[in-house]
Amino acid sequence: MCGKPLVVPEQASAASTSFAGDVPAGAPALEPGTPWERRVELGSWRAWRDTVVEALFEPGRLFQDARIDRGAAQARFAVVTVTVFWIAGQMLERFLLRPWTQRAVAGIAVRGQFGSVVQKLMQIESDNSPRTAALMALLTPVVVLVTLYVNAAVTHLFAVLLGQNKRGFAATFTACAYAFAPLVLFAIPGCGAPIAVVWAAILTGIGLKHTHRIGPGGAAATVIAPYVLVCCGGCALAGLFVAGSGVLPR
Amino acid sequence: MNWTTHAGPPSVHALGLAAAGTALLCAAAILPLDAPPLSLLACPFRSATGWPCLTCGCTHAFAAFVRLRPLTALEANPLGAALALLCAVHSVWTALRLFGLRLAPASFSATPRIRAAAAALLLANWAFVALHGPR
Repeated sequence: MCGKPLVVPEQASAASTSFAGDVPAGAPALEPGTPWERRVELGSWRAWRDTVVEALFEPGRLFQDARIDRGAAQARFAVVTVTVFWIAGQMLERFLLRPWTQRAVAGIAVRGQFGSVVQKLMQIESDNSPRTAALMALLTPVVVLVTLYVNAAVTHLFAVLLGQNKRGFAATFTACAYAFAPLVLFAIPGCGAPIAVVWAAILTGIGLKHTHRIGPGGAAATVIAPYVLVCCGGCALAGLFVAGSGVLPR
Repeated sequence: MNWTTHAGPPSVHALGLAAAGTALLCAAAILPLDAPPLSLLACPFRSATGWPCLTCGCTHAFAAFVRLRPLTALEANPLGAALALLCAVHSVWTALRLFGLRLAPASFSATPRIRAAAAALLLANWAFVALHGPR
């Protein structure tokens, strides 16, 4: 209406990322960031709560908003979330539900083929000393961090093998870190852990789809491939050896 | 072909992977194989089928590697030995980069041929473990 030409400033290319997915300073991020990545403006508690709720019930939105250049913040989210709820679950199990679980585990030990292993596990878990509790509290974050990076590395290896690696390790790590959110269920003794692990695997697939911008089939294949390789590949290998055992000289 | 490239300080993921690798190597050096928790690790796949999985023997490979017995590590699981070596090299290199080294491994694109070769190596490792490993 004023007669002047409309001038739209050009945005710098977001594709010019440096080593390991770090976005260079000054380049605008396309994603707004998850609540956890905006915790300075939201406050830590609200940011953590909103991130967990989004991860559990609106994962597509969470992973669409996630920025792959926030690796340190994402690692902190995963380590804090899992550590707190894992320790809470272990304390709950140790001090409140011990007699009931010992009876249940003893029943499994008598029947199952892992009997000796379960009995050793029970002996270790019966140690309620303050030293054990302190050691557990100190080692849990380390174990969670190692698990997070090993999980991300294995997932990334299979993403590379299947040609689904479009945005580097940082994108895989983002998916794996936020996929640890369902591990809050570790606080529920008994059924919490198996549900959490399956949920986390599904979330990893959803996360890879958004962070690497790949198709749902490729994302699902990347997550499922390690399990399929071990199960189906192992069965095929066993079949081959059983078939070949009659042919091979002894 | 250049194997290294000029780079700044290590990224947060390089540091995280180095920390995880160092923790695994330290655990392999400290924890005895015949006592809990390592003696509690039982492969469910081997228990169910009697055949080793792709990573069976990796704990022994890591333990042998940190005790400077590379042949024993290779015998236990070649993939595990290679991973232990990778962890050690990455940890040392990242530490050097923290102290001023400005070289990083050059990245390469995973062509279909490289991916197929990697998959074949994984399967070869599995066959080796199945033929050579204890039943």
